[in-house]
Amino acid sequence: MSNPLKRRGFLKGAGAALVAAVALPGCSPGPEGGVKFRARPHPMAEPWKHRLGLAQGGDDPGRRVRVAIEKLCGAEGVRTFVKPGDGVVIKPNIGWAQVPEMGATVDPAVVSTLVQLCREAGAKTVKVFDNTVGTTSKCYEFSGIEKAAKAAGAEVFLCAPHRFLMLKFDDPRAKRVAEWPIYEDALTADVFINVACAKVHNHPQAKVTLCMKNLMGVQGGDRGKFHQDISQNLADLNVMIRPTLNILDATRVMIAGGPSGGRRDQIVAGRTLVCGTSAVTVDCWGADPKNLPWPKGHHDLAAVGCIALGAAAGLGVADPSKIEVSA
Amino acid sequence: MARPKKPRHPLHGLRIVVQLAFLALFLALLVMTALGTPVAARPWLAQLFLITDPLVLVGMALAGAFTAALLAGLVVVALSLLAPRAYCGWICPLGTTMDIVDKLLFRKRDRSANVGPRLRQVKYGLLVALLVLAVFRLGVVGLFDPVCIATRSYGVALYPIADHAVKAGLVAAEESGLRSAGRAYDWAARARLFIRDTDFKKGDTHVAYLWSFVFTALLAGIVLAQAYQKRFWCRNLCPLGALLGLLGSASPLRPRVSQKCIACGACRKRCKTGAFQPKDNDKPYASVVQECVFCYACERDFCPVDAIHIGAGSPTPVRPEPQVCPGRRAFLGAAAASVILGPALLLDQRTRQKDETNPMLRPPGALQPDAEFQAACIRCGACMRACPTNALHPSGVENGIGGLWTPTFVFNIGYCDYYCNVRKEDVESGRLDRPANLCGVVCPTGAIGKLTHPQKIARKIGTAVFDKSRCLPWARGEECLTCEEQCPLGEKAISHETEEVANLDWLKMPQPKRNRYEELDTKRRGGATLTADEKAELAALPPKRRKLGLPYVLRDRCTGCGTCENVCPVDGAGGIRVERLQTRDVK
Repeated sequence: MSNPLKRRGFLKGAGAALVAAVALPGCSPGPEGGVKFRARPHPMAEPWKHRLGLAQGGDDPGRRVRVAIEKLCGAEGVRTFVKPGDGVVIKPNIGWAQVPEMGATVDPAVVSTLVQLCREAGAKTVKVFDNTVGTTSKCYEFSGIEKAAKAAGAEVFLCAPHRFLMLKFDDPRAKRVAEWPIYEDALTADVFINVACAKVHNHPQAKVTLCMKNLMGVQGGDRGKFHQDISQNLADLNVMIRPTLNILDATRVMIAGGPSGGRRDQIVAGRTLVCGTSAVTVDCWGADPKNLPWPKGHHDLAAVGCIALGAAAGLGVADPSKIEVSA
Repeated sequence: MARPKKPRHPLHGLRIVVQLAFLALFLALLVMTALGTPVAARPWLAQLFLITDPLVLVGMALAGAFTAALLAGLVVVALSLLAPRAYCGWICPLGTTMDIVDKLLFRKRDRSANVGPRLRQVKYGLLVALLVLAVFRLGVVGLFDPVCIATRSYGVALYPIADHAVKAGLVAAEESGLRSAGRAYDWAARARLFIRDTDFKKGDTHVAYLWSFVFTALLAGIVLAQAYQKRFWCRNLCPLGALLGLLGSASPLRPRVSQKCIACGACRKRCKTGAFQPKDNDKPYASVVQECVFCYACERDFCPVDAIHIGAGSPTPVRPEPQVCPGRRAFLGAAAASVILGPALLLDQRTRQKDETNPMLRPPGALQPDAEFQAACIRCGACMRACPTNALHPSGVENGIGGLWTPTFVFNIGYCDYYCNVRKEDVESGRLDRPANLCGVVCPTGAIGKLTHPQKIARKIGTAVFDKSRCLPWARGEECLTCEEQCPLGEKAISHETEEVANLDWLKMPQPKRNRYEELDTKRRGGATLTADEKAELAALPPKRRKLGLPYVLRDRCTGCGTCENVCPVDGAGGIRVERLQTRDVK
């Protein structure tokens, strides 16, 4: 008679364990010391707030990365901000399941070159991810970024739902957003590199999607809700998440159908890459119709709401005349 | 009854190995073809167990939904002509599941009193009813077919539940301090071993299906009914078992009881499908070939006197086998009942579909009109399992009571992925002639056809419409346009116009301030110059009208993929929803 009792006891125990396993996972306590964005700013972040490194022309997006970073940082290049043993996280725009020619995502050569440069500078790990808009594994595949980044020695992964940590937007300059879940790896990186591509955006307040908006890829939660008063929300996000380096890859410029794209006739060649320590300044340069082949009459610089708000929060420069470009 | 343990019949051991191998294959194919894994190169792999199911073959042939792939069922027909229900004993994944549970839970349970043969006739009635209903073009055969049950229960219920439980367990373990659990999670996620729940657009989602609790409960009922009889389902209810048994009635290969039988009743009590019974309560026993699943346990394990032999030829049975199939009267009764039930279900189907609030969102490539689809769909859930965004779910009775568990889109949960089964190299080379819809690729009966990418995006599922009483810009005067942003079409089916609308902040102002605003504004419009103070005062007041992007659906472009509904930030029913295909929309 003892057997059935044992079995019953076992089943009860197993049942309880299962219930516990399903019921327990709730909020993550987060890393020690609370949830904070920890990446180091570039050592020259403040004095170089208005400076940009620019590379134009040629057919090699990878070369443009090297050149632009050297124009900004000098011959030391990436070594000025990546130290041996660092954990580097690169957040390219991989948002949509489109092939590189569609210009909806960052050119894979830009990402692979960056990975390579960081590894050469002694980075211990280089991680590449994006909480994509489209079906993630499809975006990773179609953009070509997963393959290229892995080949260059990066870890590429899909976000795990429980690794988004609730970041309090407790900086007084963050005016509208109180808190938002942000992916753990973006928060805990030593060096965080933000890589956007140049696209028009349908939102009348956004007009274009560049570095500031690209940061939405570290967010979890229901990002659709971010689109009300998107300019202020983006400024808030950029107050909290301050990448070590911001790169705008304008290898191609999407001039219609943005941000998702999908038609070759909506793409024009840009052959440009610009980088800076401030996402606001990079965006100010990139959004300027004088600098990139945006469609005539699509927008003027002032229409891109988040840039002025970001500059008002002291993140960068919204006045093109104050930007210093080394090309 | 103490007797020396005899070695197993060699085929007994082989049978167990084969059973486990087939179950492992079944589960492996299920995992491999789950959630968006490209299977287009070998769709037959995903369909293997379903296209070899003779009940599906017969049901579809009667429903006029025959496809050539189903001829694979002839392999099992041939097997059954020779060894009637060997399929049940050796291959059927549901049968193996029952055997495993029986071994685990009921091994020592005494069920020898529950040997009555009466219930087992139910399966013949069910078989006849399902086949008659198939003639009425109702695909309900899949509701009772064991392979469909296994596919549904494992694919749409147990697999996602297990996946979720493993993840939740690892997360809980990590949070209670076990760091290796976190590393195991990340490793498994990076190795893409988990169902890829981060592939979905909304925040923290996991894969789950409507009705999966019911599927789990039904599977539990099927395996736990063995507390009463081993293989209760197979003995009494399984329509496929009934069909295979009847097919093999004339088979020379069968268990035979020789004159050595001492009528001890061991075989009757222990045979897992009750294939032995006494004739007139007298010795010797006889076997019922339609019930035997060829498990090869009886010869050595049960019979103390070696009176049973499974094979062709000698020793000859001393008695004719007892008749277990119901007589003509019972057959006709079941058929007659179905003849009444069939039209009733068809009428119900038609009536429910007349209600145009039912969106009827079928997978792209689904046969049209919907009655055709319902005739050909076997409710196996393969399409739901394959859908890369968890958008396809078993329907309730909204498409007719007979349409229970046919696939339907729930765009609040997932969306019809633009590229679905298209590969990067297909887009780059422009060769878009492969099947693009995974649901159609895995569908075993062709109820969901295979569409190339151009066909898929030309095929309307429904049409998105704004609910202007819920849409944020339309209803609340708030910025949004998330739907337009995420419309995946190269030429977006949602566009907006920036228009002047009422400013809600102005509406909140008390009347005196409104009056003051009007006063200053009229003055300004009239061409008068305002003083600096007046200018500042006017600027501080919210304007009466403000500019806002108001979205519109361009319905000739909309494919009804549901991406907009899926991403709409309005809680509850979205401010944009996909509604049923209107005749005037059909391209």
